[in-house]
Amino acid sequence: MRRPGIKFWRRLVQFGVATAFVVIPLLNHLHINVLTGNFLAFRAGPLPLADPLAVLQITLKNFYLSADLLVGAAIALGLAAAMGTVFCSWICPFGLLSELAQDAARRRTSGQDRVAPQRRTGFAVKLTLFGLGLAGFLVFSTTPVLNQLSLPAWYSRIFQFYFEQRHISLAVVLLLALPAVEFGFRRRLWCRCICPQSVLLICVKLLNPAQLKVRFDAHKCICAKPRDPCRQACSLSLDPKTLAEAVDVACNNCGDCVAACKRRGRALRFGFGPHARDSGDAGV
Amino acid sequence: MLRSRFLRPPGARPEEEFLARCLQCGQCAQVCIFECIRMRTGFNPFLSGTPEISPRQAPCFLCMRCSAICPSDALEDVPKEKAKMGFARLNRDKCTTWKGLIICRSCFERCPLKATAIVLERGLYPVITDQCVGCGVCEHVCPRRAIVTIPTRFVT
Repeated sequence: MRRPGIKFWRRLVQFGVATAFVVIPLLNHLHINVLTGNFLAFRAGPLPLADPLAVLQITLKNFYLSADLLVGAAIALGLAAAMGTVFCSWICPFGLLSELAQDAARRRTSGQDRVAPQRRTGFAVKLTLFGLGLAGFLVFSTTPVLNQLSLPAWYSRIFQFYFEQRHISLAVVLLLALPAVEFGFRRRLWCRCICPQSVLLICVKLLNPAQLKVRFDAHKCICAKPRDPCRQACSLSLDPKTLAEAVDVACNNCGDCVAACKRRGRALRFGFGPHARDSGDAGV
Repeated sequence: MLRSRFLRPPGARPEEEFLARCLQCGQCAQVCIFECIRMRTGFNPFLSGTPEISPRQAPCFLCMRCSAICPSDALEDVPKEKAKMGFARLNRDKCTTWKGLIICRSCFERCPLKATAIVLERGLYPVITDQCVGCGVCEHVCPRRAIVTIPTRFVT
């Protein structure tokens, strides 16, 4: 039997997290409160976790930062600084829904029509929304409104609402409609262009050139050029061979390209550290 | 009007400051053993996901678990005597004791701050003092609905 690859483990983690946030409100309803909270702020026993954007918003608005929030946000940002935006590809339940929609769409067309990548515009749109939302909150609003755009938070909130107060939130429709739209467009629209929660994670990852990224060794690559399996595998329509040149804005280090390359020469691998030898090879 | 007359959980800061700090994470509702804290439903971007208490349905018993767990201190971790959620108003025209019909001590007996927030005048008639923090238990137990809890949110 073949050993399960990186995609198996990733899906396992994703489904595990998605299931956990169904089970946690149920346990809370039974008064088992070891794990509490949702994707905006969470507590696992003594360990706090927090969405860095939510923390940034209330810190700037109130000039106040509690120890819990500081530690929680620092853990999330530290993970992003070391490993990139793995939250998006390994943890986020909406990321899972969006990827499943993308996979289904790809299977339907058997991987034929590749969408041309739009690399920088997505981040620019996201950044604009982030700036407007933050400024709007600081100047006009009384509540951190960007929190309402957090789809993982809405995912966990659906089950909080259901198990604690028997309320079926209309957010269910939202969380099913958006992957349906992405099934049609095939661009991971929300993750690429809208999700403001990812902006801080991306900024932190761009600050650290030594973070985990996919490296390409041109000598080992044995695939024919036009339809690379690695490009087919990327759910964000990136070209994995170029990811090592700089820290990529969009790449979430999901490892699908690495898995696709595994049986074809292993030219793509994960690696830490500033880029040195491999880029020289890629240029040859 | 009655639906909007909800309380914030004990220890909540003044309304505007509370909203600016609340992360809408729902931990207060999750640790509430009396299941009185409900998260605001719907898609109102300013209120959705914030905690509220409707004392007619389920009042707060001032166990203070919620304010202890709040990660952003939107609910301050204060002793229950300083919970300042609101204050109760007793309508003597509806109260059976004050009307002289029967002797009812429901509110007095159930008050978490018994003999502090509610005292018995002449050993008989319930009177709500200014020590009342507005948990809403008396409103919940009053058989004649003579008590209404007014949230501190409305007082600026």
